[in-house]
Amino acid sequence: MAEQRTASGPIGARIRRTEDPRLLAGQARYLDDIRLPGMLEGAVLRSPYPHARILRIDVSRARELPGVFDVITGAEVRELAAPQPVIWQQIPDQRMPESYALPTDRVRYVGEAVVAVAAVDRYVAEDALELIDIEYEPLPVAATLDEALAEDAPRLYDQWPDNKMGQHTFTRGNVDEAFTQADVVLRETLYYGRQMGLPLETRGCIASWDTYTNQLDLWLSTQGAHVNRDLMGEALRKPVHEIRVRVPDVGGGFGNKLDFYIEEVLASLMSRRTGRPVKIIEDRVESFVANAHSREQRMEVELAATSDGVITGIRGTVWAVLGGRLSGAACGPPWLSAAVMAGPYKVPNVDVSVVGVFTNRSPIGSYRGWGQPEATLVYERLVELLARKLGLDRNEVRRKNFPAPEEFPFPSTVFTYDSGRYAECLDLCLSGVEKNGWKERQAAARAEGRSVGIGYGFHVECTAFGPSRVLNAVGVQHSGFGQSVVRIDSTGRVTVYTGEVPMGQGIQTALAQVCAQSLGVPIEDVTVIAGDTDSCPYMGYGTGGSRAAALGGGAIIRAAEKLKKQIRDIGAHLLETAPEDLVIENGRVAVSGAPARSVSMAEIGNAAYRSVGKLPAGQTPTLEEREVMDPEDLAWAYGCTAVLVEVDRETGAVKVLDHLIAHDCGTVINPMIVEGQIHGGVAQSIGGALLEELVYGEDGQIQTTTFMDYLVPTATDMPPMQALHMETPAVHIPGGIKGVGEAGTIAVPAAIANAVDDALDDLDVTVTAIPITPPRLLAKIRAAQEQQS
Amino acid sequence: MKPASVEYHKATSIADAVDVLSSTEDEDAKVLAGGQSLVPMLSMRLARPSVLVDINGLTDLDYIRRDGDWLSIGALTRSRAVEKSAAVRDAAPLLSEAMGFVGHATIRNRGTIGGSVAHADPAAEAPAVLCALDAELVITGPAGARTVGANDFFHGFLTTAVGPDEMLTEIRVPVLPAGTGCAVEELARRHGDFAMVAVFAAVTVGDDGRCTDARLALAGTNPTPVRAREAEAVLVGSGLTAETIAQAAQAAAGVTNSANDIHAPAEYRRDMASVLTRRALRRAASDANVVV
Ligand SMILES: Cc1cc2nc3c(=O)[nH]c(=O)nc-3n(C[C@H](O)[C@H](O)[C@H](O)COP(=O)(O)OP(=O)(O)OC[C@H]3O[C@@H](n4cnc5c(N)ncnc54)[C@H](O)[C@@H]3O)c2cc1C
Repeated sequence: MAEQRTASGPIGARIRRTEDPRLLAGQARYLDDIRLPGMLEGAVLRSPYPHARILRIDVSRARELPGVFDVITGAEVRELAAPQPVIWQQIPDQRMPESYALPTDRVRYVGEAVVAVAAVDRYVAEDALELIDIEYEPLPVAATLDEALAEDAPRLYDQWPDNKMGQHTFTRGNVDEAFTQADVVLRETLYYGRQMGLPLETRGCIASWDTYTNQLDLWLSTQGAHVNRDLMGEALRKPVHEIRVRVPDVGGGFGNKLDFYIEEVLASLMSRRTGRPVKIIEDRVESFVANAHSREQRMEVELAATSDGVITGIRGTVWAVLGGRLSGAACGPPWLSAAVMAGPYKVPNVDVSVVGVFTNRSPIGSYRGWGQPEATLVYERLVELLARKLGLDRNEVRRKNFPAPEEFPFPSTVFTYDSGRYAECLDLCLSGVEKNGWKERQAAARAEGRSVGIGYGFHVECTAFGPSRVLNAVGVQHSGFGQSVVRIDSTGRVTVYTGEVPMGQGIQTALAQVCAQSLGVPIEDVTVIAGDTDSCPYMGYGTGGSRAAALGGGAIIRAAEKLKKQIRDIGAHLLETAPEDLVIENGRVAVSGAPARSVSMAEIGNAAYRSVGKLPAGQTPTLEEREVMDPEDLAWAYGCTAVLVEVDRETGAVKVLDHLIAHDCGTVINPMIVEGQIHGGVAQSIGGALLEELVYGEDGQIQTTTFMDYLVPTATDMPPMQALHMETPAVHIPGGIKGVGEAGTIAVPAAIANAVDDALDDLDVTVTAIPITPPRLLAKIRAAQEQQS
Repeated sequence: MKPASVEYHKATSIADAVDVLSSTEDEDAKVLAGGQSLVPMLSMRLARPSVLVDINGLTDLDYIRRDGDWLSIGALTRSRAVEKSAAVRDAAPLLSEAMGFVGHATIRNRGTIGGSVAHADPAAEAPAVLCALDAELVITGPAGARTVGANDFFHGFLTTAVGPDEMLTEIRVPVLPAGTGCAVEELARRHGDFAMVAVFAAVTVGDDGRCTDARLALAGTNPTPVRAREAEAVLVGSGLTAETIAQAAQAAAGVTNSANDIHAPAEYRRDMASVLTRRALRRAASDANVVV
């Protein structure tokens, strides 16, 4: 059953997010709100061709336009910058096309940047783009996966014999034997459409290069301040002490703002050349080609099992439809899909490969879920199809294949899951479904001739990303540790400096709760500072991989522990007692059992900074501790999603009627924030399951570059949502905290696909492609109806 | 997404607006009404007029009036006002229902019925419902006003009978006879989206329960809104039974002529025209107190 946790302190309390009043009152300061004196605005000319040779670039007319300060081309970028760094190199011998912020000779997707302009304002900058004359020689196009894989495919890179970027195979046990001896074998090809994270605030940057000091000030709408400083240093061949990255309020991240892009490099170079700050903000239309795309993969998979539903093997291939160049995340998300293909199940025999394939589409990068929704679609579809084939209850099949709680740490194919009570989580979800009367609603609807179905999706979620050694072992060219500084000032107030970056997820509130609890101070006394490489401590990676609460929080817990020792020493001296006799509660340091004998944190702070004579002998003034959090291993959260859907058999339209998730993210710091994370994730994944798709035409032209064509869910598409919490502590993270950032996102598409099949169970329909659009589903329904008659 | 530079003219009267429209050299002046379609097109530089003629100050184009058997609506009347108007609901409930499908309330608060008609998006509701209602459109130009029937007004994708030196000034809708049942059925990917397919149906039923008049118009299925005349013919004189409705639905699918696009292949739209026609006719019949 759901643990009904009654919070005795700030951790676990349903506290309102301290960020929100500002955000709701329109007082946030986003990137576009920043105006520096003399600032120019940039715009980027993008390729209209999916694949073409650049024969000639003439920017002379653009340069002459009054108000234009700079026009930069690929040739000039090459003189000033290094190739764009790619930190995800986890595929052995992966092919790494060298690419600069701007190309010189060839474009490989519609929307690839070719020339950038800086002008007095964005209007003039866009006028200038129209005056740039480029001669292209169109080349044959590999617009789809199949076209890119064809024998005679046009090659995107002449130096390699085909369009494959690399392949990585994960094996375990003896898969051939498992399939030979299997009672049943299932085969499916599942397709996950191309989608993207779509923050309301598009990506943007301001670069201000002081030509006298060589100092580069950057404001980025990003999820990673330090990692972007490092990568910017690499791209600009610049020592990082000369770069400061600041992150204003971020209007949504979703992973795509973790990746490193080209516009920040271009803004920096143009600032250097003009001596003025340069702002580049991606507009909405550009965002559909310039922001990282995600998800698109074809997954050919087979499952071997015994006749009583025990899974004995999985094999298959994840075909990753990469774009025309590599983003900083390279083939990372599809790689994770393959790596976690066994999901929450005990699968003794595995042989799963990921193959990255270059196509003339926009590059693939990060998006909330990061390969896991795709993997979940596979394993959660297969498990239900197996149950259907064997005539077993689908959740009994799930249960049968879960590792038991005592089998943790559980070694899955690639990763070891730290802790979990999967069967209990499933039960919690099922009891929710029962309590909410879904079976009755389904029966009543069916009696009226309506097609209503229930679907489940059990997922595992890689969180607390990540332990540096794990990252390095899997090929990430960067560290992953977290770091926090906790400081008590001369008035006894607490300031936390974290390397994590807020992007609307409420991390300032959550970290303040952790700090308040760890130190024994009221939450109002804690301020969290983030998003500045000069004032905040270095952190590996960026705030992605559901990590901020675990790594940021873990570091705070440890730093607070050390700080408390100092507080006790000072308090003991002031109260003339022994440090062991003191308790710190609600901002006061008191003698245990004698609360009248106490000093306030303000008095402690005053002694540490101003009345230093009151400090015990040998105590250094100031009160500050720093802690690096580089855990031994990841934390694996999990959850069980259920959805109730209705299918219109005549139109193929699907409506989600209700939603429920039972989940476990370890220690819940703030249930309201956890639920908020889940709600947002569910919205995105309902969009992903039913609406969102980046569509390319046969000619390689993208056809979805506005919100009229790329459909995100609105309020009317959302069902009621419910989250039931369980708390199984993380093993390697202080405080037992796991992450929850992707929990809502991962399993919904699989659960909806399962529910649609259930709604149409008399027709034996199997959904195999996401998103489930009305025409796609209607075609399946019609085919099934024809088969039956 | 910043518009190219454009001259802005705030019209002081219909005559003034027409004067600017007809005196612009390249005949590329554009009327700015609610801006809900025009402003995005300007921002994406898909529309590049040299002059914008803002008619938002012309309050004499913002009215809804009942003149006997006709309902007159000024071109600048906001879509939301049309949707909520008691006079419209009384005279042509099909129009009220249809306007509720135009985008979202915020868009209807700004967007005008005249703008929607003049813009002539093939998936828009207002053009199709006005075809179903046999509305008349009053166009004013340098030579004065002329009237064009809705079914002759829409020439193609985003093109209409309105010339470059003219503007739409009034929409005239004949009042529906007593005994008429109405229904709109729309299939859109999300609430508030342009229709993939929408069907606007009005059936008039005589005392003997027979259908005396039927109007069926489709949006989203052709480059312009279309009337499903054959389907209407099936219904007129019939008893609006399940069979005749099914037959009419079949016939309605026959008029569709759409290309494949990202939201649906052509066959899907054709099939949905039939499904939605059936649903709309059933509801319209029951609205006219016929039990199907
Ligand atoms: C998010 C969104 C969703 C929408 N969804 C729908 C929908 O579901 N269904 C739908 O039908 N519409 C929809 N629309 C469009 C909306 O209804 C527009 O308001 C309408 O199409 C245009 O009306 P307007 O007054 O805004 O015209 P404007 O945008 O000002 O003008 C549109 C065009 O008509 C011309 N024009 C305007 N008035 C006149 C006139 N009196 N005489 C001559 N020419 C004129 C303009 O020059 C321009 O070419 C949507 C719009 C948005 C932004």
